[in-house]
Amino acid sequence: MSISKKRKRQRMEEFIGTTYSIAIYAILYIPVLVMMMFSFNNQRYNYYWNGFTTQWYTKLFSNSALIESLWYSVVIAVLATIISVTIGTIGALGLKKYEFRGKKFINEMLYIPIIVPEIVMAVALLVIFIKVGFALGMGSILIGHCTFCIPYAVVTIKGRISGDGYSLEEASMDLGANRIQTFINVTLPSIMPGVMSAAFLSFTLSIDDVVMSNMLAGAKNSTLPVLILSMNKSGVTPDVNALTTIMILIIVIAMVLNNLIKNALKKRKKTEETI
Amino acid sequence: MKKLISMLLALILITGLLTGCGGTNTGPVENGKAEPSTELNIYMWQQYISDDLIAKFEEENNAKVNLSYMSDNADAITKLTAGGGQEYDLIMTCDAYMESLIDGGYIEKINFENIPNASNINESYWTAKEYCVPYLMNYIYVVYNKDTCPIEINGYNDLIDPALKGQIATIDGARNLFPIALIALGYDPNSTNESEIAEAYEWLVKYNENVVAYGNAEQNLTNGTASVAFTYDGNASWAMSELGDKNNLVIADFESDPVQLGFDLYVVPKGAKHVDLAEKFLNYITDPQVMAANLVEYPYSCPNDAAVEAASDAYKNDPARDFDYKENVFFQKDVGEAITIYNDYYQKLKVGE
Repeated sequence: MSISKKRKRQRMEEFIGTTYSIAIYAILYIPVLVMMMFSFNNQRYNYYWNGFTTQWYTKLFSNSALIESLWYSVVIAVLATIISVTIGTIGALGLKKYEFRGKKFINEMLYIPIIVPEIVMAVALLVIFIKVGFALGMGSILIGHCTFCIPYAVVTIKGRISGDGYSLEEASMDLGANRIQTFINVTLPSIMPGVMSAAFLSFTLSIDDVVMSNMLAGAKNSTLPVLILSMNKSGVTPDVNALTTIMILIIVIAMVLNNLIKNALKKRKKTEETI
Repeated sequence: MKKLISMLLALILITGLLTGCGGTNTGPVENGKAEPSTELNIYMWQQYISDDLIAKFEEENNAKVNLSYMSDNADAITKLTAGGGQEYDLIMTCDAYMESLIDGGYIEKINFENIPNASNINESYWTAKEYCVPYLMNYIYVVYNKDTCPIEINGYNDLIDPALKGQIATIDGARNLFPIALIALGYDPNSTNESEIAEAYEWLVKYNENVVAYGNAEQNLTNGTASVAFTYDGNASWAMSELGDKNNLVIADFESDPVQLGFDLYVVPKGAKHVDLAEKFLNYITDPQVMAANLVEYPYSCPNDAAVEAASDAYKNDPARDFDYKENVFFQKDVGEAITIYNDYYQKLKVGE
């Protein structure tokens, strides 16, 4: 009696769990699917479904403004990621390992760029750049992106550094490794997952940023999100859908590959261990 | 809402900074007259000028035109007031901002001796004549689907008819919405009286209940989401031509209410580096033949009389511009300090009490 009741409850819970996750995934992914579907729409402004075509994919590659701004966005995102992860790693290690005056203050100040509305940061930077005569363009956007990527990177990596790393570092130095060797061979691998997630986070934040880029863009180029936003007045054309579809496909493929490689590495490790 | 607050904060920040260290700006770099510029930086709306015409201008003047695009009029204003004007040679803005831009000294006077074609522009559409060159203009009116709209619309008050619940697609923005409410209530569309604006807010709450979507009016009209749209004539034109033979959209026949007429115009920001080329461009774009070709792609209303004369028959016979009350218009004016009252009520409208 009680067992069947328990089973019933279990089944009920399972059912609720599945429905709930289906609902969540539906909310997350149906808009994306609709967006992808409309990249095959045979109409200029995506007003309604008008038949299947792949013309937007061929048009996309002749739309130089779109491709150029995508390239611009990617370059900025990669550079912003490299800079913020480098500074973030050094900062996180320093803030975790060493005790110094004002450490708490600096730790708390880290959250300011995260909390302050982005537009305020953007306008402040804009005013500063103009006052000091720094030309607006890729450089200004890059600095802008770093201002909000670095705090995220520091916070993410800091969370990854655990106390027991120190004994490993000490052991490594006992065994004759210098600080640089220790950093590369011991410290860095132990915080690598944190560094990687900081890198992904920075890249994502940078590539889809619109507020900062919009304010700090110079007269010659703008990033892809800014370009798409500016299309809003007259309607976004399906070649943008085509471009985003391709971008999503690339991300999905990259994620699948990432998992495959990870699994392969795990397997190798296991077999090595058993040997 | 969030954007508005942030915008306000940003503006406060800028004004603080500007009053703090005004007068430190060095003058623009003098450009030698002998050597013509080879680069022109324009900040304007996306999808608003023909690429072919730009390419032709580049070829004729052996120059490179860099177009960058704004997503909002406020973008241009923020960049200008923050002092970022010298990055550009021409900035597009609208008539409502001209007064503050001139007062703040953010834009240069234009030398019309180098722009003989400007005489084609109808003087009655031209405010702040020394500082700007009007490009295109927009009537903001009401169009509806004569088959699906349950009522006939003859004035703004019809828009709050409960029969239209969830039927209206509308443009957004405090300074576009409040004027129609003020007119419906019999007040000045640019009122600065708080109790009148409060009343207009109450009117807009009712309007809001009938709204199905803000923005993309032409899209929602053609796909049937909305049966009524409060939008620009150029967008209505697109919707009508997209529907083609099946066009069942009609322009509301207003009896007495005026419609808003807004201009998009070019200004030369203070410190612009390629003024010579900017003047050439302005002269080029006011040329009747050039503008007429532009109107084929961008069928908006145009203040350039000679260009309208030279335009294609399709443009001249566009049903979106076929309405009788073109003279009965009002303009968006600078409301000064009252803008904060508008913004407060607008936010309330957007997020509820």
